[in-house]
Amino acid sequence: MLSQLIVGGLAIGSCYALISLAMVIIYKTSEVLNFSQGEMAMLATFVSFYLLADKGLPFWLAAILTLAFALLLGVVVEIVFLRTAKNPNVLGLIVITLGLEMILYGVAGWRWGPDQQAMPFPIGNTEIYTVGSVTFSRISLWVFSLALGLMAALGLFFKYTRLGVAMKATQQNHLAARIMGIRTKRILSFTWALSSLVGTVAGMLIASSYPLDVNMMMDPMMKAFAGGVLGGMVSLPGAAVGALSIGVIENLFGGYVSLEFKSVVAFAIIVLVLCVRPSGLFARHYVKKV
Amino acid sequence: MRRGVWIGIMILMLAVGGAGMALAADVRGVTDTEITIGQWGPQTGPAALWGAVARGTDLYFKMINEEGGINGRKIKYVLRDDGYNPAKTKAIAKEFVENIGVFAVVGGVGTGPGMAVRDYLTENKVPWVGPSTGSSHFTRPTNPYIFGVYPLYKDEAYLLTKYAYENKGKKIAFFYQNDDYGKEGLEGAEIALKELGGALVAKVSVEVPDTDLSSHALKLKESGADVVIMWLLPKHAAIILGESAKLGYKPQWISSNTLSDAPVMMNITKGLWAGVITSMFGDLPNEDTPLMKKYREAHQKMAASERWGSFYYAGIIWAEPLVESLKMAGKDVTTEKVLTSLETMNKWRGIGPPLTYTKDEHQGAKSVKISQVLENGDVKPLSDWLQITK
Repeated sequence: MLSQLIVGGLAIGSCYALISLAMVIIYKTSEVLNFSQGEMAMLATFVSFYLLADKGLPFWLAAILTLAFALLLGVVVEIVFLRTAKNPNVLGLIVITLGLEMILYGVAGWRWGPDQQAMPFPIGNTEIYTVGSVTFSRISLWVFSLALGLMAALGLFFKYTRLGVAMKATQQNHLAARIMGIRTKRILSFTWALSSLVGTVAGMLIASSYPLDVNMMMDPMMKAFAGGVLGGMVSLPGAAVGALSIGVIENLFGGYVSLEFKSVVAFAIIVLVLCVRPSGLFARHYVKKV
Repeated sequence: MRRGVWIGIMILMLAVGGAGMALAADVRGVTDTEITIGQWGPQTGPAALWGAVARGTDLYFKMINEEGGINGRKIKYVLRDDGYNPAKTKAIAKEFVENIGVFAVVGGVGTGPGMAVRDYLTENKVPWVGPSTGSSHFTRPTNPYIFGVYPLYKDEAYLLTKYAYENKGKKIAFFYQNDDYGKEGLEGAEIALKELGGALVAKVSVEVPDTDLSSHALKLKESGADVVIMWLLPKHAAIILGESAKLGYKPQWISSNTLSDAPVMMNITKGLWAGVITSMFGDLPNEDTPLMKKYREAHQKMAASERWGSFYYAGIIWAEPLVESLKMAGKDVTTEKVLTSLETMNKWRGIGPPLTYTKDEHQGAKSVKISQVLENGDVKPLSDWLQITK
């Protein structure tokens, strides 16, 4: 039972991890917590549903078009909603993302209605392998490896590409980066695009196992947020490990302690971390020198 | 000056005329030509899947009106969207009573929304037929104005559990939403098993906002249950079937009639719903009784864009006894006459369960049908009406 609970926790935790990464990418650059992260992914996932179910496109094509849409959505959101903010401070921008969350929720609800839908996915959830006492499903293995692959790709991207390095530079010192000739506004747009893309992959993976509806991302996003807080909101590996741990901790708690309070664990962790170690487990505490 | 006098006279005449009309129709919501009936239902929001109920009632009233109405009066139907939000339901009930003036309300999806307006409607003496919930809060204790058409969750769970124990397996687990809705089901199942000399092998609950149910599925699997009975939201039912499939766990799934809309469930479970046993609060959608045929034809003619499913025609089931009692009440319809007509019904049937009301018992429905979902999304009957004997 223990190993099975861990396997289940890692499968859902990898989805949390992607959303968590998406949030951290933006938070690192601008200190803005993007509360519309889940809804942006939800909207894009509905777009893929539209392409698959209504237009009958093959899965790979629909996935590519959806990801393109996600990139565009990120850019549009940044340019239309955040860049236009007057005298932006962090709190104001966070409130904007909250408003945006409601707008996106409303738009998806209006276009696709409140009914649950089934997202066509090339792998069904009845294909399973049993190793010893543990059962793996093909779909969970796929979800886990795709998520892991994307995380690795992100790591390499930030380390080895010019764009990635420029993003990091902008994150660390906005002014210096600008003086060095980095077009920081463009970088910011790209940050949102990348974040939206990563979140959308999570959305599509979640919709592969859960019914698709406008509320689909609410619970995963809160868990992802808890994971991000646990790992420290400014560390990419931290966020990934934090979110994976949330998935596992939650499942172990549900299995051994109480299913009724399973979902509350994540929130307890947010409060606990913020009280005991506000910078998270993986981030070094950052003190601003005046 | 002269003009002023004329206007004065006209106002006086209008006032007298108005008073005369008021005398003829001192029953709220009833005029010489119309009877106004209201219903709320979630057309938007988290429970909008159940919004079909109120639209089904609309079809039924249109049909009655096309046939000439009830004793010469047409039904004027007022449908309001409460989004499954009890605060909105409250405002709607107030509008129904104080602004529109409805004679009665019918249906109304949800325990929460219904509870928010139950006392207000009763204080204002509004007859309410067929609250669209199997919760016991509406007919226990007997409320003089409320008539239950929906079998109680507790009775339904009792019948389903007994059926499962006798036909499908002795090791039964119960998987339920952790609130009144789920707990009333659990209670019924436990009573049934106690009488049969057994006990549940597992009780697993789920909270409304939960999404990841992998540990719930594992708990059910570990219990070794051959049968799992579900009292859930459609979303959770779909997820638990998926997660159990991922674990290679395939018990006989059994569900409350709240998930009896087979095509919807087949769609969101990607076909895993085939083989599931559910109870039904009405005749099966494809049954060939004369009434069912008539309603299906009306649906084809007047509302073909709606899907013919159990949620949709539930709206007809809740309204049938109200229409019948209005017919019985005759030309001079009053609230009292309608209430006493309802109380004379004995094993009365439309397409819902047999209804028996007395002065002291307003929970008219005490039976369900049991059916099984086929591979193609149709349902086949497993039983006729099963009635609780308590």
